[in-house]
Amino acid sequence: MLRVVAVTLLAVSGFGQSVADQAVTLSAQGQPKQQEQFTPIDQLPPQEQLPAAPLLVAAYVFVLLTLFGYMFIMSRRMTVIQREVDRLDSDMKRSGRG
Amino acid sequence: MPKWFSPAVLVCGVMFAISPLVIAQAPYESTMGLVQKVFYYHMPSAWVFLTASVVCGIASARFLATGNPRHDRTALAAAEMAVLFGLVTLVTGPLWARKAWGTWWVWDARITSSLVGWMIAWAYLILRQYGGPGSEKLAAGLALFGMANVPFIYVSVNYWRTIHPATTVVPKLPFSMGFPLLFCLAAFYFLMFLLMKLRVRVAEQQARLDAIYLSLDEQA
Repeated sequence: MLRVVAVTLLAVSGFGQSVADQAVTLSAQGQPKQQEQFTPIDQLPPQEQLPAAPLLVAAYVFVLLTLFGYMFIMSRRMTVIQREVDRLDSDMKRSGRG
Repeated sequence: MPKWFSPAVLVCGVMFAISPLVIAQAPYESTMGLVQKVFYYHMPSAWVFLTASVVCGIASARFLATGNPRHDRTALAAAEMAVLFGLVTLVTGPLWARKAWGTWWVWDARITSSLVGWMIAWAYLILRQYGGPGSEKLAAGLALFGMANVPFIYVSVNYWRTIHPATTVVPKLPFSMGFPLLFCLAAFYFLMFLLMKLRVRVAEQQARLDAIYLSLDEQA
């Protein structure tokens, strides 16, 4: 009889423990973690302190400036070559070699 | 330039002008937040970089096989695209990584092989510029190595340990993130096509100029 009571108590306590564990886990999953203190941003690790916006803006500005810069260089190259071709063509026509 | 070129440039310009608005509509990624939006310019530029390396390699192979200068001009234009968009990739990547990974650079297989691919494209252009007569064939050989590096760059994230996102990320993107990416991809590929067209035109004009000088020398 005593053995039955002891086994029953153990089983109940084990079940209770597992229910409590599950409740803690579920509560941790279901709700955001309760904040216990406020931390100034300068005490965070460097990676977390870094604001994202300047990096994002820098990336987009770099892309656009690089592409516009290349297009500007290309249009200048094209203008210079076209001018030289036209000059040579007109020189050759003037000298009767064209 | 052909008549359609100016309207095409206008359309491309409009696509780039509205791309920030399209990207702004995309949701924030759960772990990286705002900085992940670098992705919408970083990845298209990386794809254009790889595509340009392949185009350069194929055009170089055709030039070596046929000796047709048209293929050589295409290869030259593609090499410039590889340098340009490779630079964009290699600069926007670290700007993203600084926040997402906490470091500007890691020497993993993807990033290191991308750097090597970019340097091969640079080497091609330097060889063309300073290599003297016959350098176009040497450069064409170099471009084949640049092309051979491309599959290695692509699959490297799947075979070696790295913190760089895997190739499975893009196919699994939800529509809200996939649409801005496709839009930017279209804009970048369109720009690459237009710039290549322009660069080939400059190379053709340069060839015409060289031919005129040569004929003048022969007549003198």
